[in-house]
Amino acid sequence: MAPELLPYQRIREDLFRPLSGISRNYAVATVIAFVVGIAGLMAWGYQLRRGMGVTGLQRPVFWGFYIVDFVFWIGISHAGTLISAILRLTSAAWRKPVTRAAEALTVFALMIGGMFPIIHLGRAWLFYWLIPYPNSRLLWPNFRSPLLWDLTAIVTYVIGSVIYLYLPLIPDMAQLAEHNTPWRRRLYRALSLGWTGSDREWHALERAMKLMACIILAVAVSVHTVVAWDFAMAVAPMWHSSIFGPYFVVGAIFSGIAALLIVMSALRKVLHLERYLTPYHFRNLSKLLLLMSLLWLYFTVAENLTVWYGNDPKEMAVFGARTRGPYAPYFWTMVVLNFVIPFILLGIRRLRAIRTATIAAVCVVVGMWLERFVIVVPTLANPRLPVSSSSYAPTWVEVSITAATFAAMMMLYMIFAKLFPIIAVWEFKPHPQEEN
Amino acid sequence: MAIDLDRCTGCEACVVACHAENNLPLAGPEGAAKGRTAHWIRIDRYYEGEFPDVKVKYMPVLCQHCDDAPCEPVCPTYATYHNPEGLNVQVYNRCIGTFYCANNCPYTVRYFNWFEPEWAEPLELQHNPDVAVRMAGVMEKCTFCIQRIKRAKESAAADGRPLADGDVQPACVQSCAAEAMVFGDLNDPRSKVSRLAQNGRSTRLLEELGTRPKVFYLQKAR
Amino acid sequence: MYLIGEFREKESATDAIRELRAAGVAACNLDVFSDEPVELPRGVLDRPSRMSLISVLGAIAFGLAATAFVYWAQHDYKVVTGGMPLFSFWATGVITYEMTMLGAIVTTFVWFLWESGLARKRDCSAPVPKVDPGSICLRVRCGAEQAPQAAEVMRRTDAIHIERRGEV
Repeated sequence: MAPELLPYQRIREDLFRPLSGISRNYAVATVIAFVVGIAGLMAWGYQLRRGMGVTGLQRPVFWGFYIVDFVFWIGISHAGTLISAILRLTSAAWRKPVTRAAEALTVFALMIGGMFPIIHLGRAWLFYWLIPYPNSRLLWPNFRSPLLWDLTAIVTYVIGSVIYLYLPLIPDMAQLAEHNTPWRRRLYRALSLGWTGSDREWHALERAMKLMACIILAVAVSVHTVVAWDFAMAVAPMWHSSIFGPYFVVGAIFSGIAALLIVMSALRKVLHLERYLTPYHFRNLSKLLLLMSLLWLYFTVAENLTVWYGNDPKEMAVFGARTRGPYAPYFWTMVVLNFVIPFILLGIRRLRAIRTATIAAVCVVVGMWLERFVIVVPTLANPRLPVSSSSYAPTWVEVSITAATFAAMMMLYMIFAKLFPIIAVWEFKPHPQEEN
Repeated sequence: MAIDLDRCTGCEACVVACHAENNLPLAGPEGAAKGRTAHWIRIDRYYEGEFPDVKVKYMPVLCQHCDDAPCEPVCPTYATYHNPEGLNVQVYNRCIGTFYCANNCPYTVRYFNWFEPEWAEPLELQHNPDVAVRMAGVMEKCTFCIQRIKRAKESAAADGRPLADGDVQPACVQSCAAEAMVFGDLNDPRSKVSRLAQNGRSTRLLEELGTRPKVFYLQKAR
Repeated sequence: MYLIGEFREKESATDAIRELRAAGVAACNLDVFSDEPVELPRGVLDRPSRMSLISVLGAIAFGLAATAFVYWAQHDYKVVTGGMPLFSFWATGVITYEMTMLGAIVTTFVWFLWESGLARKRDCSAPVPKVDPGSICLRVRCGAEQAPQAAEVMRRTDAIHIERRGEV
């Protein structure tokens, strides 16, 4: 029976049940996440104390794992926007059980990604100098720098995403305000802002959500374009390319959908939401993932073909390093993970299932991380004066901080799923009078 | 600055002098193996031909102090900017270590302080008191020995005369045994460096990028 | 005093509202409560909204303010970088755009809080009905004399439950 036709009480029970109690798996996962997270924090502390020399960075490769991670996580954050905003604007019904999980993924990915501009700094404790405030140095930050554009874009996106996550949460908070645990009652009541469910409130909410969907879409496109322009605005060979803006946006949506698919798969299993996250939803997500894979391939071919045909010596040095040189294993693995495997698993109808979709999504997430790596490092390793060429290999510090961010994402999501219903109850089950 | 590549022998006296003058951090063998050496001026070697007909070109590469420097607009804290005299200035106190300037420099002449600098005894006694010792996490590069420029200007002002051509000698220029390097005021058409910049052999590095570098390389005569 | 009628059908509630308004009850005295949003036909109980306009105005205001700030800041401390001009509209373009969007976001949210009534001072005497899932509750505020008339309207339009609350 289609989940929307289940009785209210049943839906509410199913969707509110995960909020109470902690299973053994949850505890084990928390411990693992904690350990990995603490290891990463200690690595960062060590880096702050000793200096950036503890990383594998060297002249001329001044950006390494941290910037790769930064672009990667900001890319993952585009999941929420696409699913939530575009599907809301097109009134696609299948989005309903997926929107809140996507929006939460966006907020957490942004929070994690936003840490990396701080982590990668040589003097990280002075990161706040990028914020324009009257100071004793009598200086304002340099607004001409793409890094300042990054700051404004990411701050805007974070605020927008949090509001976009919070707005549809308000009615659910009102529903939960009668929860049995006292501290939860207080939390939900505070967050519900005294929501009563009057038509004035509903109209305002729906209007606000429609506006926010449009705005957040515009912001999301600009955010990853601005991140791409960190590279494109530089004169480094194979970075200075006008394709970077759209390329990164497409890549972000691609990796975002993949991450969302993985999250949905996990939630479905762990929270027993098999009734609500059906193969139909995964089929649609798979189709979107396949579409983005093809789009990504188009952009990749366009970028590499033009460079290869143009034959500029400095760019060819980078191209050679990527396709035949030391970075070739990463480049070709990336192509296989981002295109070949998803194309097979998602394109062949008989193979399309939740499990294969999840496998394809994991491949895409890894492949997109490799894509960022292959964009950042080979260019820096092959500068315009070839005499200064070098290589890059990460150290344990960079690896453990990277691992810690995945642990942090898992932890944040687990906490979220315990505090808030992962499917928006009021959106999911429309009013019986509205069903036609 | 003008550098005559026909005269340069690749002896690297300029490199050593720069180290001594500007308190450059030492990387040590492990640091050098990791590519962490900092030489504000370095000698790039370009080899042509097969043994025994090998030709080598030695090219001292230092910060070109570009007029349209790509490193300057990308620094979010104005740690690098163009001063009115035309120098590309690096302000260590403002640097928070975003590395963007180094990535955007097409000449790869920017160097980073990976750790707190250490000098084995008794080298730290040799430090130049006119030059700051940088801390870990800041970017640095050739300053055209701004401390020597300042001292020459003060000295000239004290004597009540204008700065003459040849008054300012950065450490590398001073130490060059082949007298291959010349430093002066490009705004003064009668200075030696201006005349050398007009020379038929004069070129600039990566000029096509539009950075307007101020180091003129006089190519080897064939 | 307040009359709260519970309806199971959207048509009944719509009819009730129409009749009440025809009888002279103002729209501001009518409130419809439900657990999920209910879309009434146009003209029945329209709540005019200025959200889009306010959002656009807020966006423009933020964008202009941010650009003006950048212009002022870059002239406050004049530093030449890379031979570029002190202030360039296109170079600042990203910041203008992002701050415009931020203005739209913040303004929308703040106006939502206002327009929905969540941020306004609440009338504590107004009772909030506990809505059963699937029901629509109509709350009418009227004087004691009009109450029987209003109750009659609701009974005629198939309200399954009517209660009175409070005295004027």
